[in-house]
Amino acid sequence: MSFKDVIDEEEREAYMLCNEAIVRAALEADVQLVSFYPGAPQTEILDNFEKASNKYDLKIEVATNEKVALETVAGGAMLGKRSLTSMKSVGTNVASDALYTLAYTGLKGGCLCLIADDPHAHSSQSEQDGRWFGLTAYLPMLEPSTPREAMEMVKKGFELSEKFGTLVLIRTTTRVNHQSGIVPLGPMKRTPFEKVSWKNMKRPYTSVGELARKGKKEMLERMEEIREKMADSSLNRVEYFDGQKLTDEGGDEEKLGVITAGVAHSYTVEALSRLGSSAKILKLGVINPMPEDVIKKFCQGLDKVVVVEELSPYIEDVVRRLVKDVDVYGKRTDHFSEALEYGIPSVLLGLSEITGVEAPFDYKKHCREMKKHGEILPQRLPVFCAGCPHRATFWALRRAVGDPDKVFFSNDIGCYSMMCLPPVEWSDTLLCMGASMGVAAGVQYAAEEKTIAVIGDSTLFHAGLPGVVNLVHNQDDVTIFVLDNAVTAMTGQQSHPGNPKKAGGREGKKLDIRRVLEGLGVEKIYDISSYEVKDNVPVIKEALEHKGVSAVISHGECALYHYRNYRHDGGKLVPYFIDLETCESVHACVLNFMCPAISVMPDKDGKARIHQDICVGCGVCAKLCPKGAIKSTATIYGGENKPIYTVEDYEKYVEKKEVKE
Amino acid sequence: MKQTNIILCGIGGEGLVLLSNIIGETCRIAGENVISGEMHGLAQRSGSVIVHMRIGDEVLSPLIPPGEADVIVSLEVMEALRYIHYLKPGGTVITNKRLVHPPGETLDLVLRKIERYVEYEEVLEAIKSNDANVVEVNALSLAKKADEVRAQNVVLLGALSASLSGSIPMKSFLDAVEETVPKKAVESNVKAFELGADAYES
Repeated sequence: MSFKDVIDEEEREAYMLCNEAIVRAALEADVQLVSFYPGAPQTEILDNFEKASNKYDLKIEVATNEKVALETVAGGAMLGKRSLTSMKSVGTNVASDALYTLAYTGLKGGCLCLIADDPHAHSSQSEQDGRWFGLTAYLPMLEPSTPREAMEMVKKGFELSEKFGTLVLIRTTTRVNHQSGIVPLGPMKRTPFEKVSWKNMKRPYTSVGELARKGKKEMLERMEEIREKMADSSLNRVEYFDGQKLTDEGGDEEKLGVITAGVAHSYTVEALSRLGSSAKILKLGVINPMPEDVIKKFCQGLDKVVVVEELSPYIEDVVRRLVKDVDVYGKRTDHFSEALEYGIPSVLLGLSEITGVEAPFDYKKHCREMKKHGEILPQRLPVFCAGCPHRATFWALRRAVGDPDKVFFSNDIGCYSMMCLPPVEWSDTLLCMGASMGVAAGVQYAAEEKTIAVIGDSTLFHAGLPGVVNLVHNQDDVTIFVLDNAVTAMTGQQSHPGNPKKAGGREGKKLDIRRVLEGLGVEKIYDISSYEVKDNVPVIKEALEHKGVSAVISHGECALYHYRNYRHDGGKLVPYFIDLETCESVHACVLNFMCPAISVMPDKDGKARIHQDICVGCGVCAKLCPKGAIKSTATIYGGENKPIYTVEDYEKYVEKKEVKE
Repeated sequence: MKQTNIILCGIGGEGLVLLSNIIGETCRIAGENVISGEMHGLAQRSGSVIVHMRIGDEVLSPLIPPGEADVIVSLEVMEALRYIHYLKPGGTVITNKRLVHPPGETLDLVLRKIERYVEYEEVLEAIKSNDANVVEVNALSLAKKADEVRAQNVVLLGALSASLSGSIPMKSFLDAVEETVPKKAVESNVKAFELGADAYES
């Protein structure tokens, strides 16, 4: 599995991540225009398209947000271009304003919008179920279970979209997006991107009042037509599990039926196999419009039908509405949960209770017993990376604020969201992209304490700017902190409008955040350099004392991004080390700093130690050590200005020193 | 029903995803069906990382149920213990001889919330007390020996290949290593792989 498979012209099998397979399928389908905002679990789709855009004639944008991305691909589709966007579950909330109206207007070209849900909230603020977008917006929605199916649905999705003149949604979940498997690579038939005449295909994409009422009627008719034409789609399939293996036919006498979709299908079959139970299975691929006749026909002659789906009882309630003479089991009967993601154990437990077949293995008991031995383990929580500028900014902010109870800390979405988790746990609110600004506006009316609102650069452009405008216009009293690390760091350092590069590493126009804020009328703006920890404290204090809207922009490139580029350009890392003769074990480097490169040595009076393989040499800990015990390895060779030495050089130095002793 | 379930675990940034990619390629080359499920997102932030790999015609789910992993391969010993509930009774744990203290543990130590650091030997004992067949591999020293300090993951891959020698040919693994790692690093990675395989046998 690698990018070279995604663009390989040879028709063969490849091992691929589902997100790569989606890109491959779209390229095979001759997609011409794509636009995205990154966000787990779908970011690799953008990442692979960025790389592909260097080989294929393809228009690509890293959009400011999901709404802009959807509107962009819709614009292309109005001119008949096959286009695609994808977004994480909550990103669809941002895009939904455009989404709902696009269903009214319809589109000319094949246009796909992939919605990647995150049951279990692995990397999202909620377990939002994106299937309701399809139903409530009257848009067709397909749901794959595997990378292979995802490829098939991307290709069919384009055809469906063109045939019926509508935007088509594909719904995935984390366990599908981040699943890898063997997929077939089809022929790559690309055509060059060419402009077309609008005049020749002109028709209005407008919706308001009378037009909206007309559009709604057409939309309802379109959905009924799709329901009819898609009824026998191979994307909905009936299978039979005979207790050991899956077959396409048989099971005519079977009394147990299971209706399922997405990754839950795989858990269902494997759970049945562990129970040794047979069942007829209806695996739905088209989840809007729901194939009602297929469901009714499937349930004929069954005694029990079980609906296995993660999150809300979306399919189950349809089945309950359609099927009256068969017992329906699922979430409404408390056999399955509306919370968290599923797995083989949870599905097996539900099926075991419903069928009365005893579970062959007690997973819960097993986990309990096995985990007992693990009680000695400390948690391994994610922390800011070695060299992260946020760590330095928050150190200075905390010192400037003094007592955290003296402020209301309105936080936002990004790496810095981690501030709300243990062991720091310093955030008073964290809702969604850009919410730090809006919440701050309300809080500053009601709270006696000073209100501070923290936001990253990418998040500021994404959804923060309207909130800033609102603060300025209403003359609110809030200090804004913009963490300018040059990239959308958390999702893998993609570019954003504040970066000079646009999609695919091509030259773009960098929007200067200071000038943006000035333009919006922010009264007081302070630029600080993230790593200058001590110097930043008085500046932040001054900003906090300002009545009205003030802003502190903390500049410091994402360490992963910065040091990757630095090494790519031939630079070598210069880690720091603890001078054991000077270290007095006061542990300033550990307390409130939490760098993954620093630990202590219990056998050496608890003196600190810097791991040379992790330290990138940002030097912030050295600035904060009250004893001056942290030094650059460059000093070993005679001073900071000396040429750069490598970790290996340093290790050799240490080894030599030990030999001498 | 022949199937092989492998848990790969470690700390973000150690090359777990590359390791899983090589195993996936190996299966493709060997003509075996394979499915894997991995967790991205916080992988680069020193957090705990786990990848589920499932090989065999009957596998469908990207997640291994607890108690059904044949092998756990861990790039760091604490992570092997953290995911030990996935191991089947009598299964094999191939662990790197390496322990990395999480920053939170260091903080707790300095704040005197804990008396001492957890030690490698006690973690190993806890793993063994779970009816596990433990193979320790000093991946760093072997990777250095192969002249590729970053190939600790490939050393462990070598050890894994030896444990699976009955079901997947060694050659498929080697072909996958050659296909997956950068050209100039092939030789050293093959060496690292072989040293890992030898370490498992001895």
